[in-house]
Amino acid sequence: MMTDTLHPLAAEYLQRLRRAGRGLPPGRLRELLAEIEGHLSEAIDPSASDAQALTVLDRLGDPEAIIAAETPHADEPPARRGTKEWAAIILLLVGGFIFAIGWVAGLVLLWSSRAWTTRDKWIGTLVIPGGLATSAVVGEVLLGTPTETRCRGVAGAALHCTSAPGPSIVSPVVGVAVLALLVVAPIATAVYLARRAA
Amino acid sequence: MGTKGRETAISQLRRGVLEFCVLALLRDGERYSYELVRALGDADGLVTTEGTLYPLLGRLRREGVVDTTWRESPSGPPRRYYHLTSDGQAALGGFMSEWARFRDSVDALLEKGVLK
Repeated sequence: MMTDTLHPLAAEYLQRLRRAGRGLPPGRLRELLAEIEGHLSEAIDPSASDAQALTVLDRLGDPEAIIAAETPHADEPPARRGTKEWAAIILLLVGGFIFAIGWVAGLVLLWSSRAWTTRDKWIGTLVIPGGLATSAVVGEVLLGTPTETRCRGVAGAALHCTSAPGPSIVSPVVGVAVLALLVVAPIATAVYLARRAA
Repeated sequence: MGTKGRETAISQLRRGVLEFCVLALLRDGERYSYELVRALGDADGLVTTEGTLYPLLGRLRREGVVDTTWRESPSGPPRRYYHLTSDGQAALGGFMSEWARFRDSVDALLEKGVLK
């Protein structure tokens, strides 16, 4: 890396580009960084004034725009958050309650949309498969619900029922902490996907 | 089509033509990436952000219309030199004749409101 011979503003620009390009295939990002670094070292003398450096960087454009141009499908009009993207986000979050089919439908919409990078799609898929429905199921197992209902009764007389919580398999504190995480994670993922597609 | 739609159409037009401008710059011999990008960036109204040309150069390489050779530079890091392949020459030739017809028709319409 020639970073130490770059103007400080050029080095900072290269860092931004590296960060913005984390979703790209590593080989493509490496190649792009090498080209842009060559451009920067050629166009900006390390002792140049900040104003001169900024002029060159302005001409280059936003690092994010360069990464967008490198991303597959960049030649097509940019995909934005539309009905399909909202449907994907909502189904991934709560679709699992509809016999799990809803979540699978959300997954199909997620992967067929062009509004997200492959990395975004993996995040949407893996955090947390099934969405809030999974959280509900795991929560029930951990916290020992559903309640057990015992009924005593004599034929002909009214049934007398009592309910008591079933046995819990982990301590309530751990159970609540895990459950909180399981609820927060899918919601955070939904918010993340909504922002990424904006 | 709103103002935004028209901007998109112009930027699509620009993007579609730009790759042939790269090929045209290489017609008389090889150039290295920075040279290419600066030449296109200096042309009026052709490129809005020079940085987005690097992904374009990468795509042309992958499509096989240009090929590259690394050479040492008298100063700084090695330079990647681009030259046309035979596929690139054919693509440029095809575009030049199509473009001449396209440009003449559009010019005639824009200037006189009729086709010549």
